Amino acid sequence: MPGAPTPAMTDRQLLRRYHVDGDAGARELLVERHLPLVRSLARRYAGRGESLEDIEQVGAIGLIKAIDRYELERQVALTTYATPNVVGEIKRHFRDKGWAIRIPRGLQELNAKMSSTIERLTGQLGRSPSIAEIAMELDASPEQVLEAMEAGSAYSPMSLNAATGDDGDLDPMETIGTEDVEFERSEQRASLEPALQTLPTREREILRMRFEEGMTQTQIAEQVGVSQMHVSRLIRKSLTRMRSELS
Amino acid sequence: MGRDWDPVVRLVLGGIADRLNLGFEELDDLQLAVERLLLEARSQDSVRLSFELSDHGVRTRIGPLRGEALADALQGPPPPPGELTLRRILETVVDSFGVEGVEADGSLVVRLEKIVRGV
Repeated sequence: MPGAPTPAMTDRQLLRRYHVDGDAGARELLVERHLPLVRSLARRYAGRGESLEDIEQVGAIGLIKAIDRYELERQVALTTYATPNVVGEIKRHFRDKGWAIRIPRGLQELNAKMSSTIERLTGQLGRSPSIAEIAMELDASPEQVLEAMEAGSAYSPMSLNAATGDDGDLDPMETIGTEDVEFERSEQRASLEPALQTLPTREREILRMRFEEGMTQTQIAEQVGVSQMHVSRLIRKSLTRMRSELS
Repeated sequence: MGRDWDPVVRLVLGGIADRLNLGFEELDDLQLAVERLLLEARSQDSVRLSFELSDHGVRTRIGPLRGEALADALQGPPPPPGELTLRRILETVVDSFGVEGVEADGSLVVRLEKIVRGV
């Protein structure tokens, strides 16, 4: 196999390396290179009741699918081919997995603001804000905040780690990058349940941080680089998935 | 009591957390504890949920709950390190918990305590 792929290579060269030589590093470089495109497309769908970071992750799955499905015979730029794939993935996400029940727009909007508000207040206060503090910041009543939180639960976001369909049960995000060394060490330390092993690396790591190391959601959010509310959702989703694996 | 009651339970817990000035994370922890208990309990007709508020926090009682997994988790030996069991989840998200009573049919009434920390 030729040497390692480099950022100096063109998309076409990297696609060839990936599809012909099976070089996963080339795929990784392509994903990294085109993530700004995903972010740009995701921003168009912000403010519709889901956090931008969630939409970006859905879009990233579209990008990975586009890279995987690209045919070298095509005389079309990868960005041109990827754009409808990314947009399609995001649209499908909203259409298929959107608000499970009809939620008033006001509550959806309040829910969308909640995550960043909690982050900001947590930073300012040095602790998790109360419902009253969140309400004051959002110029809403505590009851509205609670309803909006519940509206967020009514929203059933697509598993951002759902199988691509082509790779069995493999988490698309998991196929990018390498395993965290610290996590590998912790895996050796702990004899985790088999069901835990069915989760994607990031989710396993979040569960380990929360339930083994006793880290707070805020600390985990900082470490993983997602919002506190997202950590909460991932924990629930992972526990539910584990339970269904066990049963 | 099916899972369609979960939103109602979460809203009630939210209202109590608001009155007690619990932080968002503490509320989320308490909600998670109650959700997991309800999930682990076998499907049953009725579950009683009661709250006792104090200056120090909230004591939640939930029951009767059936299910062998639940009894094992709450009354069995501590899980080995690294195993993610219901017991480990409860140890993480509430300040204390325990079996408050056992009904004639073996169902459990579980107590959860969450302490208010300086908000």
